[in-house]
Amino acid sequence: MRISLQDVSHDYRGNEESAAVHVLDNVSLEIASGDFAVLMGASGSGKSTLLNLIGAVDRPTRGKVFLGETETSALDESKLTMLRRRSIGFVFQFFHLIPTLNVAENVAFPLSLVHTPKREINTRVAEVLERVGLAHRTKHMPSELSGGEMQRVAIARAVIHKPPLILADEPTGNLDSKNGTMILDLIRELHASERPTIVMATHSAAAAAIGDYVVRLRDGRIEN
Amino acid sequence: MNRVPRGAQFSILNSQFSILKALVTRPISREKTRSFLTVLGIAVGVAVVVAIQLANQSALRAFRESIDAIAGRANYQIVPDAAPLDENVLLRLQPLWRDGVRFAPVIDAEGVVEPSQLPVRLLAVDLMSDLHFRDYRYAKIDVNRFLSLFRSDSIVVPAPFAKEQHLAVGSPLTLNILGRKRTLIVRGILEASGPATAFNGGIVICDISVAQRSFSMAGQLSRIDLLVPDEKLLTKIHLPPGVRMERPSRRNERVEKMLRAFRVNLFALAGVALLVGMFLVYNTVLISILRRRRDVGVLKTLGTSPRQIFFAFCGEGLIFGLAGSALGILLGYALASGILTAVGRTINTLYVASRPESVVLTPAVIATGIAVGTLLSLLSALQPSLEAARVRPSTMIRPGLQQPVRNSRALAIASAICFVLAAITSRIPPVGGIAVAGYVAVLLVVAAFSLLAPMIVTFIARIFAPLLQSAFGIVGKLAATSLPASLRRTSVASAALSLATGMMVAIALMVGSFRETVRIWVDQTVSSDLWLRPAKGLTNAPGAVFRPEVADELEKLPFIADVDRVRARTIVYHDAFVSVTAAEFNAGRDIPMITPRKARPALEDALRRNGVFVSESFSIKYNTRVGDVLELPARHGILRAPVSGIYRDYSNDRGVIVMDRKLYVRAYADTAINTIVVYLKPGITIDAARRKLERDFGPKHGAFVVTNGEVKKQVMTIFDQTFMITYALLGVAIIVAVLGIVNTLSALILERTRELALLRVTGLSSHELRQMIVLESSLLGVTSTAVGLVMGYVLSWILIYVINKQSFGWTISFHTPVSLIAASLSVTFVASVLAGLVPARLANRIALAAALKIEN
Repeated sequence: MRISLQDVSHDYRGNEESAAVHVLDNVSLEIASGDFAVLMGASGSGKSTLLNLIGAVDRPTRGKVFLGETETSALDESKLTMLRRRSIGFVFQFFHLIPTLNVAENVAFPLSLVHTPKREINTRVAEVLERVGLAHRTKHMPSELSGGEMQRVAIARAVIHKPPLILADEPTGNLDSKNGTMILDLIRELHASERPTIVMATHSAAAAAIGDYVVRLRDGRIEN
Repeated sequence: MNRVPRGAQFSILNSQFSILKALVTRPISREKTRSFLTVLGIAVGVAVVVAIQLANQSALRAFRESIDAIAGRANYQIVPDAAPLDENVLLRLQPLWRDGVRFAPVIDAEGVVEPSQLPVRLLAVDLMSDLHFRDYRYAKIDVNRFLSLFRSDSIVVPAPFAKEQHLAVGSPLTLNILGRKRTLIVRGILEASGPATAFNGGIVICDISVAQRSFSMAGQLSRIDLLVPDEKLLTKIHLPPGVRMERPSRRNERVEKMLRAFRVNLFALAGVALLVGMFLVYNTVLISILRRRRDVGVLKTLGTSPRQIFFAFCGEGLIFGLAGSALGILLGYALASGILTAVGRTINTLYVASRPESVVLTPAVIATGIAVGTLLSLLSALQPSLEAARVRPSTMIRPGLQQPVRNSRALAIASAICFVLAAITSRIPPVGGIAVAGYVAVLLVVAAFSLLAPMIVTFIARIFAPLLQSAFGIVGKLAATSLPASLRRTSVASAALSLATGMMVAIALMVGSFRETVRIWVDQTVSSDLWLRPAKGLTNAPGAVFRPEVADELEKLPFIADVDRVRARTIVYHDAFVSVTAAEFNAGRDIPMITPRKARPALEDALRRNGVFVSESFSIKYNTRVGDVLELPARHGILRAPVSGIYRDYSNDRGVIVMDRKLYVRAYADTAINTIVVYLKPGITIDAARRKLERDFGPKHGAFVVTNGEVKKQVMTIFDQTFMITYALLGVAIIVAVLGIVNTLSALILERTRELALLRVTGLSSHELRQMIVLESSLLGVTSTAVGLVMGYVLSWILIYVINKQSFGWTISFHTPVSLIAASLSVTFVASVLAGLVPARLANRIALAAALKIEN
């Protein structure tokens, strides 16, 4: 899925009286379909905000965001929901698994939303969990998993419905180096086999090395 | 121990304020909706208690003030055990005049104004000597002819009464007192002060000779008022048998004693709303602690003592309590006037005639409202505050902290102990006529069910999970799994709604059973064709009577098979009011008996031995059995009457003694009749007989003809009016409980912000999110209704067989009013479903990007 940002700015306001904080300032960016782009920058540089705008989680204050041919910044909430449901997979720094569902149910969640037949869900969940090395953890609850395992479940959930776009926000930021490496290998492998567009925000140079190219952000602007 | 220096004391206070600000006041002002819901929950509970107290006070204050206004400055009264009092008693008092003792003969009788049937009180006094006792300020009087007040047809009326009845000096007014109608002339109008204010001004005053002559009371008095300057003089007063001396306040005390069970029951119902409110505070403080656990952990790490944390969260309970109490008192004041009409009507119909006055918010009521709201809120906050104080800082800071529910086995054991204790307690006899143990048993049952709440919520969620999943897909699954995941909070909300529903079902069962029992009783008791009454309605006011000749005349009519002359009066028995009813006993009468089973042998025994029947409530209150001999105050001393039978009677809870009319007339020298029960000859239609009786007896004797069907209908109307307030109070409890669900689910939304944002980001639509939250509230509704239904049956058993029996002495047969219970449960369920809409709106307002930044 091709991503296009045209003169995008984003401001945050604590409340109506407080002054606006310019998080992104006139950013334009093109990411071709099937690319693996890495967003790098210091804390507060605007990486997560850019990811949120691409993922249709937030709306730009100014400018346009396109996913494929669709201008997401012009869509209403229900269409954005459908877009996220079918076309995007998210991986977060803090894993963000649904605490009340077990591993298999968490992974199956995106398929459940689109009313996929149960048999198909079971087959796909088994395949994906096998692929991330957690076939033996199907019935466990998130609270019973290690950090690395939780992130692998999160990746499995992000890819099970084969979205054309995967967004990862500091996927190794909360893991030790061994688990971090394992997760990066998994993401690289996924990109190589399925060729989705991947946008990954990270601090880590090692993580950045697995992408096709790096987009550097500084004070809300793109450096290169 | 060293004293803390003054500077250090300020510093301690200052640091406590800082902690309070960080943990309590700032979050309260930030989470406005939730804080408002909690305050509103407590306010509604307090409002009900305040309103009941105000209504009770106002309803009785009118009566109490009337008695005081009529008593004037009298410090003692001479009263007969069985009215009337012989005026010769005055002769015994004459020698005491020189010792400074003043006495005033009084006739105090109830009657009605004709033809409007307006209830009125006749106060007849010696207008000359009565000035020692009461102040009469004349607004208008025929000044040229002051002595006209003493003419044989003169009366004096208060100015407001005169205005209401369009009376002026010289106007005629027809009074019906003790079945005698007389037209008297208004010769003076009093200012609204002193005795003229009694009974809301519904009073007519005349000279005692006028009353004795006009209403056939020659030589008779109601009482003698006394002004005794020195208590020692009391020993010099020698009274004949059947006459006693007491303070005027004694009558008020007796009336209050008679009403005690009724009032305690109302307060107990108001307590349900408050108890539900307590769950709300408990949950709010618990949620506050859970939401601020990290802050608590940080403060503890920085050196805040457990005691400071404890006081901070207790402070939260206190703030909610104070705010809720203040709002509750205002709401209660507004509610009171509505409740007053219902309470006043019940007191009037079942106990004493009293016109309720306007509601007055006294300092005592304000103090009660604040004390009840604040103390109970503080009490509810204690346990969660202690928990916050005890937990180690590391546990509080650790991410993903779950607040586990205590060992479910321990909860089950505690619940079982509560059930066993409730069973034991329900067998303890009443204390001073109040079913204290019954109320304790109710609390124990409520505690037992509340302890089971976590297990029940988990169980129901597990049962419903597959069903919800198949009906609503992943949304249903998420809803079913989220409730057990936040068990501490959801189980408290469920327990609160279960309690409100349980009480609603219990009351519906009790009232439904009682109604059915009364309906069967009325069907069995009212077997005659027509009733002839001297007044509208079913009141047995002593003033509304026929003279015996009316029944004699009636008996001669060709279409009448038989008549029964019924007379009722109130006497003082064991220093309490009981009713004595006279009816014509014959062995063939059908009476709903308790002991013996059949009426015939008991009636034969009563006729043979001059025996009496007592009502079930009388036999329970005075521990009376068949064969016991009652000593009743009668006209000429004590009447010793053996008890021949105990029968069912739901007409009042004071206790009724029924005797044959011949025995009654002998004992009380009273031939008046309250009701003439008419049996028609076969083939005579009720309508034809009624028309004829209305034509011949209506204008002539001021009689009203009531059919059998109308009597039954009126009894059931009175019954329904009496219990209307009960439903209203429980409705309030349901509102509080629903507020609890809204509050809990809203708090859970705040707590699950990140999780809900994640669901939205991964594709859950806003409609599906709303559906999920409404399903959660529906599941809480299903749990609470199911538990409420079971709890309701257990509680109704205690209400019917323990509390009702001990408070009023009535046996009620169990009956399930299916449609009423179905309606109650539907109301609760629908309310809980709708309660989910508020938090659902909240959930859809979550800023997704910001929420996802929150760490676990």
